[in-house]
Amino acid sequence: MNTTILIGAFAFWLAAWALNSWLAVQRPANVAAQRAIDLFVPVLFGVTLLVLWEGLARGFNIPTVLLPPPSLVWERILASSHILWADFQQTFLKAVLAGYAMGCGAGFLVAIAVDRSPFLKRGLLPLGNFVSALPIIGIAPIMVMWFGFGWESKAAVVIVMTFFPMLVNTVEGLQASSAIDRDLMRTYAASYWQTLFRLKLPAASPFIFNALKINSTLALIGAIVAEFFGTPIVGMGFRISAEVGRMNIDMVWASIAVAALAGSLFYGVVALIERAVTFWHPSVRGG
Amino acid sequence: MKKMSVTLLAGAMALGMAHVAHADDVTLQLKWVTQGQFAGYYVAKDMGFYEEEGLNVTINPGGPDIAPPQVIAGGGADVIIEWMPAALAARERGVPLVNIAQPFARSGMQLTCMADTGIEGPQDFAGRTLGVWFAGNEYPFLSWMSQLGLSTEGGENGVEVLRQGFNVDPLLQRQADCISTMTYNEYWQVIDAGISEDDLVNFKYEDQGVATLEDGLYVLEDNLSDPEFVDKMARFLRASWRGWEYARENPDEAANIVLENDETGAQTEEHQQRMVREITLLLGDDLVLDEADYQRTVDSLLSEGSDPVISGAPEGAWSHAITDAM
Repeated sequence: MNTTILIGAFAFWLAAWALNSWLAVQRPANVAAQRAIDLFVPVLFGVTLLVLWEGLARGFNIPTVLLPPPSLVWERILASSHILWADFQQTFLKAVLAGYAMGCGAGFLVAIAVDRSPFLKRGLLPLGNFVSALPIIGIAPIMVMWFGFGWESKAAVVIVMTFFPMLVNTVEGLQASSAIDRDLMRTYAASYWQTLFRLKLPAASPFIFNALKINSTLALIGAIVAEFFGTPIVGMGFRISAEVGRMNIDMVWASIAVAALAGSLFYGVVALIERAVTFWHPSVRGG
Repeated sequence: MKKMSVTLLAGAMALGMAHVAHADDVTLQLKWVTQGQFAGYYVAKDMGFYEEEGLNVTINPGGPDIAPPQVIAGGGADVIIEWMPAALAARERGVPLVNIAQPFARSGMQLTCMADTGIEGPQDFAGRTLGVWFAGNEYPFLSWMSQLGLSTEGGENGVEVLRQGFNVDPLLQRQADCISTMTYNEYWQVIDAGISEDDLVNFKYEDQGVATLEDGLYVLEDNLSDPEFVDKMARFLRASWRGWEYARENPDEAANIVLENDETGAQTEEHQQRMVREITLLLGDDLVLDEADYQRTVDSLLSEGSDPVISGAPEGAWSHAITDAM
């Protein structure tokens, strides 16, 4: 047990905690300073967690097959960046993006159909409910059997996972426009499609983006878990499960780090697009 | 009356606990789920061989997400069953496993291909799709491909490798030309699925000269300096070998014992009876690790090209200390 490291990590934690607590209550007049504080506090928090992890792992001499310290994980990321990049391309660029686009697209189109027809609403929504409740651990091997070992089966799993949230949120959103707005469009003799594109869809966009943000995380989870069940020997899910078996836990964490980064960036991009499209919504205007 | 019955109950419990206090606890972590592959240990438990040696043995089944080296590193077992390549790799990564016994002298691993793919020998593998499990079972396969000079990245002079799940679907669904099977398990799943033996071409790792040692018993190195532990393990090995010999003589009874211990209820009588018969063919004459076999496995792993399983010859990875004390 390395007491110097433990004490050092503990001291860093206390100092960072004190600093963050002090910074969080500051109210500088300067807007730039406020922004800097807003950025600094979470970054310091994250760094403190990493330092604590490193300190505990090294201080208690925890075997690396149980918990590798972050420095080891970082070394592994640098050493195996080509492997991680190939995995990222296979899982994210192929399976996640294709599945996400098709799943959200299908959910969107079905929602428009459901909005038009009360018959479909009563028939399709419960079915969608059922499909969404199917556990991914059960669907994934079946998709592998149907669509083969390649990225297609992973995209299929992502489609199944992302379809229902998109469907439900879009249906909800299409009904969000108020009666007075719909009456207004009627007085303008707007056709169904004009009403759809000029009123209902813009009013539905906060709901649609809600679903898109949820689906961005679900898609990544779905693709990675689906890869546990049969894959060519490349892909983030494959890497995690194979390296766990080989006791290369630092590689597992490296893969997790890449997946976390990819998921956060994906979510961030969708959120940015949302801010641009729903600029009129009170939550974006800050009202 | 109530006071008397309470006293009697307390007395009985004390007697019972006094008996249990003499027995040493041993936790065994299996490499896979409860099946005929581990018949010897279940037989030794149910037939009372462990009890006769003064041992109280808990057998923990493994499964797809359970890596025995991690279990023992986390303190969840005293002794584990593992294949030698995976154990040597774990040793290199900081889990100081030592082989104390090697019940399986022969390898049951093979590569099974559909005959209509036209594959007649290893020379036909180039450009094909081969399936192998991972999670520690891929080392013999990677070693073999390396010795054949075939890259596992695909392409004309390589092979496309699929990570197969723990079933034989890739062969049945024609997603792979060949898949990895064990002589005692997946091979029979293929036969049960309706494929006749004439439609299959089989390559046993033993025949190809690339076999590595499979089920062996491993403990953590520090424990070997504790004489009480050594004595406990020696008794464990003695009783386990009695179990294996019993299973060899009475395969159907052993299969029944395995089925009774199977908590999932997923195993069938026919499959287990076959498995026990096939597995006893892999047993050696005794539990002692033959150093020549060990060396062959190490050489096979070291001869792998670009991505060797182990980077150097292991030291102190096996010990006869326990088998000598048997």
